[in-house]
Amino acid sequence: MAELNFDKVLASLRLRLDEVDSENEFDEIVKEYLGKESLLSEERKKLSKLSKDDKKTYGEKLNTVNKSISDNIQKAKKLYVDNKYSSLEESEKDDVSINWVSTQGSHRHVLSQVMDEVVDIFSSIGYEVAYGPEVETSWHNFDALNTPDWHPARYESDTLYTDKNLEHLLRTQTSTVQIRYMENNEPPVYIVAPGRVFRSDQLDATHSPVFHQLEGLAIDKDLKFTDLKGTLEYFVKKFFGDEIETKFIPHFFPFTEPSAEVLVKWNNGEWLEILGCGMVDPNVLKHVGYPKEYQGFAWGVGIERLAMLKYQIDHIKNFYDNDIRFLEQF
Amino acid sequence: MKILKSWLNDWININDIHSDDISEALESLGFEIESRLDKQPNYKNIVVGKVVEIYPHPNADKVRVTKVDVGSKVYEIVCGAWNFDINAVVPVALPNSEIKDGFKIDKRDIRGVESNGMICSASELDLWDDHEGILKLSDQIRIGSDFSTTYASVDTVWEIGVTPNRGDCMSHLGIARELSNYFNKPLEQNDIKLKPNIESIIKVNSGKTNACNAYLSVEIENFDISDSDIKIRYRLSSVGVRVINNVVDYTNYVLHDIGQPLHAFDRDKLFGTISVRKAEDNEILKTLDEQERKLSNEDLIITDNDSPIALAGVMGGYETEVTDATKNLLIESAYFDKVSIMKTSRKLNLISDASIRFERGIDYELQQKGLMRFITIFNNDQEINYSEILSSTKNSISHDVVSFNKNDITNILGAELSDEFVKQTLDKLQIESDISNDEISFRSPSWRYDLERPIDLIEELAKHYGFNNFDSTLPIGNNLHKKGEYWNKRSYISNLLSNNNFYEVQTLSFADNESNEIFTPEKKPVTVINPIDQTKNHLRTNLLSSLISTYKYNYENNSQSLKYYEINNVYDDGKHHLYKSIPNQEYTLGLLIPENENNPDSRGMLLQNDIHTLTNIVNYLIPSVQFEHLLRPGFHKNYSYVIKVNEKIIGYMGKLSYKLQSSLNLETSLYIMQINTEKVLLSEIQKNSYKPLSSYPFIKFDLSFAVKDDFIASTLISFIENLLPDNENNISIFDDFTNEKSRNLGIRIITRNYNKTYTDEENGEILDMIVKNVESKFSIKLNTKENNAT
Repeated sequence: MAELNFDKVLASLRLRLDEVDSENEFDEIVKEYLGKESLLSEERKKLSKLSKDDKKTYGEKLNTVNKSISDNIQKAKKLYVDNKYSSLEESEKDDVSINWVSTQGSHRHVLSQVMDEVVDIFSSIGYEVAYGPEVETSWHNFDALNTPDWHPARYESDTLYTDKNLEHLLRTQTSTVQIRYMENNEPPVYIVAPGRVFRSDQLDATHSPVFHQLEGLAIDKDLKFTDLKGTLEYFVKKFFGDEIETKFIPHFFPFTEPSAEVLVKWNNGEWLEILGCGMVDPNVLKHVGYPKEYQGFAWGVGIERLAMLKYQIDHIKNFYDNDIRFLEQF
Repeated sequence: MKILKSWLNDWININDIHSDDISEALESLGFEIESRLDKQPNYKNIVVGKVVEIYPHPNADKVRVTKVDVGSKVYEIVCGAWNFDINAVVPVALPNSEIKDGFKIDKRDIRGVESNGMICSASELDLWDDHEGILKLSDQIRIGSDFSTTYASVDTVWEIGVTPNRGDCMSHLGIARELSNYFNKPLEQNDIKLKPNIESIIKVNSGKTNACNAYLSVEIENFDISDSDIKIRYRLSSVGVRVINNVVDYTNYVLHDIGQPLHAFDRDKLFGTISVRKAEDNEILKTLDEQERKLSNEDLIITDNDSPIALAGVMGGYETEVTDATKNLLIESAYFDKVSIMKTSRKLNLISDASIRFERGIDYELQQKGLMRFITIFNNDQEINYSEILSSTKNSISHDVVSFNKNDITNILGAELSDEFVKQTLDKLQIESDISNDEISFRSPSWRYDLERPIDLIEELAKHYGFNNFDSTLPIGNNLHKKGEYWNKRSYISNLLSNNNFYEVQTLSFADNESNEIFTPEKKPVTVINPIDQTKNHLRTNLLSSLISTYKYNYENNSQSLKYYEINNVYDDGKHHLYKSIPNQEYTLGLLIPENENNPDSRGMLLQNDIHTLTNIVNYLIPSVQFEHLLRPGFHKNYSYVIKVNEKIIGYMGKLSYKLQSSLNLETSLYIMQINTEKVLLSEIQKNSYKPLSSYPFIKFDLSFAVKDDFIASTLISFIENLLPDNENNISIFDDFTNEKSRNLGIRIITRNYNKTYTDEENGEILDMIVKNVESKFSIKLNTKENNAT
């Protein structure tokens, strides 16, 4: 009998497989070499006409060839797929050290972020945010805060006034909110008031005519100096970290007594003032008509100062120039 | 104020206490340490010598040759100074020594004469500024001594802050008093006895005015105006006082020593009775800086036979000034009222060591002691004749006894202070007190004006107890995690905009007239009467001008065209709403979007924004917002809108007018918006509901209406929404085009009933209902095939 030249078939298969350039072709090749119309199928049809021995021998031969074709195709397909994706991945490269899209910064002004952070800390121990007007009466800014009319802070060289009689001004401290709030609310009081304050200073490295403070006020029946200490130590630790050392040194503010400044020990061993505080002076509580059994404490902290310490910003002017090179860093 | 350790040691024995410990004490007592200088001699091997011979230099006129005995040997030294004679005792830099700043001194040939070193001036030894000549020392000092041992050359100077309520601490005595309790060391009394030996000629009178409680004087004859004692000059220069001559130096010395300001008059220029009164308006006094001062009835003056001779406590008069020719002195020691001195010194901008002390309040019993110390120091230096002290005192100041319950201490401080501690502290501070079982009574001493109320004394006790020795406790307030509407709204807006690539800015609140006028001419600006910058003497009435300035700044300096916002106050002095006497100040949001924006991805092209970018962000910020066309100043004719929420106008927005864009030299168009955040509640702008999903199939209509040019499409959407109140609706505009006939809006309505599937018939009914209602409501026409524009 005339056997099919299987070597020829396999050689043609190899040539065919070499030419593949799409994954789908492998299915066609399977059909072409092993399908119903394939040479191999044609040979298989002839088997019934052969003798028992020949049938067995040739049948085995056909099976072997079938397997060989199938293996070849599988192998070629695997190789093709491996090569294809591997070289595709090979061809795709980039330098990820390039920041095409600037992702730095939150787009929020650093002063707002610091105010937020301070508000969050005090909110976590029960303080609500209050606010008050920036153009104020001298009474709210000075008299109600126990600052006598001859006090140097009231001079026009320090304070910006909006009328000739010096009865209205741009508030020099957020402490005015203490008075505004207590005038309109009964005790107990637990508030913080972040906001703008104004002084008669030119904008330079260390001064600004506009800056931000956060005032805090706690008035209740049983608040003591020890509570003031605990509250501000809590704040300082939350803001600067648990490791920070604090100390309280006596100071003078017209509207608190005893009054203190809080200092923190900086990395370089230097003690830096970060806020002023004290027990609210009885005269202040009298001015707003609070009952005698209420007392408490107040503090004021400079937001620019906190931001400058936290990020080592050396120039207060940066905050108000709004240079994008500065803004995008925070 | 500067204080010197060796000077404090006159009053309290602290020489053996380390300066670090003194620093800590000062700080814990409330004296902020502004600086500290540990002094060492800024020279080496300087000895005390005596000039035994002086003769001319053979080859030079400007210098002399001296022979100086330094004990062990006599050296020949060439000297250029002429302010000394034979027998002068002087500091000598011999060969192998160093003067100021490590400058080495050796043998040197000066025009043919070998000079064995130099005779030194005070400035060459870094003592004080004196280039007049060499430093002459007391002839009491042993020849050959190491110069650095003749005064306190190793010393510490602190510059401290004294709070305005503590005038009593503006002297070495005052600080020593505080330290005496801290270190538990007694205060030296330094008592003095005087032996007057002349009669006084000039009478003094504290006058009728209450502003002078006491006026005391002493007269001095037979003295020389000369340099003061080296110890005095060293101390004064160490605390930053310029040394001048003995009379001036000794008055300054008494001031820094015990806190009593003194004034010296040339007695021979005085004629009658010295008295004190308020000046008359426009009265003239020539002060010793040779300026003619026009006075007012607020100024306190010293008079001689009623004519002004000095501005009390602030500055002496030119006519009665002490000069080199002065032979006899009258020294004034007085108590002037704080407020009076403060007003005059601030008004005339004459702020001196004396005026600062008067305005904080000096010890009302110190005047006599002031004169006694002056005489003693003067007399120690040269033998002088002096009179009895004359005194005219009103005794109008006294301090009352104040009592309070002992429990108040614990109630305020949260710690119990023992009776022993209280008693000991008050005694050391020389505060007269009495402690019973329940009460403490005290009387403030004559030097303290800050102890009027129980709280004042409690503070004093707390301070001496040490603030850092109190416990710390943490009370929790009544607003736990409740930041309030104001802050929540601000945070909501800020987070939303920052997350959409807007940069938040903080700009100053001041504005010039023009930047207010261009956007908000209807507002009346608040004016600052004493502005920092005369061109910006208003507070801003809008945030738009400063946003544009910020935009321009970064565009011009950094080539960045970006979006910005600011949340801050704007001010309006028009009709007051919220506050009676102060202007309206409204917490406001302003934002700016440039038409061409830098892409955050630097590979990308510029981003193109238009009016819809602006409306999108406003819609995103306030989902229930409505816009109404209204032309506002500074805006584009058509792109100018008021912003409404629940029918309230809360702000305005639009495109910057081209005219303004051109006059501001802006290359790109800007879209700007401002809303008054106080006019809307967070609950009104935050979305807090959800539209349930219907499980029934939708019906859909695409309709086209011919509308007027100024028709507002969103009104059509919300109208149709309301026509189908019980459905899940999805209504949107899919087309907006204008042809020769009209403007045409394509609207897509997708709606589902919550309870059923619509039949074809119902479908038709709904369509008819919508068209009919829309047409009649807005007087617009549905585009049908017959009339279809396209």
